[in-house]
Amino acid sequence: MSSYSKAAQQWATFARAWYLLDARMQPPGKIAEISSIRLQGKHKPVYHALSDLGDHVVIINTRHIAFSGNKWEQKVYSSHTGYPGGFKQVTAAELHQKAPTAIVKLAIYGMLPKNLHRRTMMQRLHLFADDVIPEEIRKNLVEQLPQPRRVPKRLDEYTQEEIDAFPRVWNPPKDFRWR
Amino acid sequence: MTGRGTPSRYLASVLRNGVGRYVCQLQRLTLTLSRDAPSSRGAREYVEEKVVDFARQNPQIVFYVCPKKIRIPTVVAEYLNGTVEEKFLTSKTSDEIAEIIHKLANQSGLEIIRIRKPFHTDNPSIQGQWHPFTNKPSVLSVQEIGQQCLSSPQK
Repeated sequence: MSSYSKAAQQWATFARAWYLLDARMQPPGKIAEISSIRLQGKHKPVYHALSDLGDHVVIINTRHIAFSGNKWEQKVYSSHTGYPGGFKQVTAAELHQKAPTAIVKLAIYGMLPKNLHRRTMMQRLHLFADDVIPEEIRKNLVEQLPQPRRVPKRLDEYTQEEIDAFPRVWNPPKDFRWR
Repeated sequence: MTGRGTPSRYLASVLRNGVGRYVCQLQRLTLTLSRDAPSSRGAREYVEEKVVDFARQNPQIVFYVCPKKIRIPTVVAEYLNGTVEEKFLTSKTSDEIAEIIHKLANQSGLEIIRIRKPFHTDNPSIQGQWHPFTNKPSVLSVQEIGQQCLSSPQK
């Protein structure tokens, strides 16, 4: 038989885990997809809609998310202040400049189920614009979630050896004139 | 009728009866019948034909036959767990009475009510209940997560 009591088993089963997700160069929709599953607890085999099983998700580097296409200019976030003429529309770039966590937050908020648990699940979401997070959150972390997209490497991040070792299709002759 | 308001219990046996040996849970039977009443006719036949054989075949059950001036012949079964069950035998034939007594002798004495789940196990899981680290790599318990988030220059 097991060496732990039934109460300890119960606590272990319903314990909340803390996940870390790095949003650097990731599309916000993919980030939201991963985190909404974790926030609802749908990744657990013991999931039930009536038992509150959501985990905590800590997302860092939301300032460095990557939109594909021309979404930075063309994607529009609309809101209404409630006053006459209070309809506001900002593009994704403007919103991101104003609040670097807002785009990820809105994407996740939109993917969570529209019920009374939505605000509770959003409270278990911790967004950070950069990779500096408080120590009391960092020590809770259990697992780092894999990023949905491979982070591309800039040319200045390659060392000179890697650049030299890169296969070349054509070597210019010595007297080649670059124009 | 909803199941919510009716009494219910879980499926259980008495002290795992029958796993090693079987202990008959019926302790005592009292058959009360009348000498003259026509409603006790089948009960009288049962006493004449079958009661001795039944008592001989089931030495663990105490069988009382109680002749009394009554209109409704009854059989009262008392079980080891204290349950007392009374059956009316009015106008029953001796075969029907034999069937009733056979059924009473084979019952456990647990109350006959709605059973919540028709299955039961003493060992719910060998693997153990799920918890957040089930089927996860064990390196998670030793590795430090979020090293890149340390504000110190060691990153």
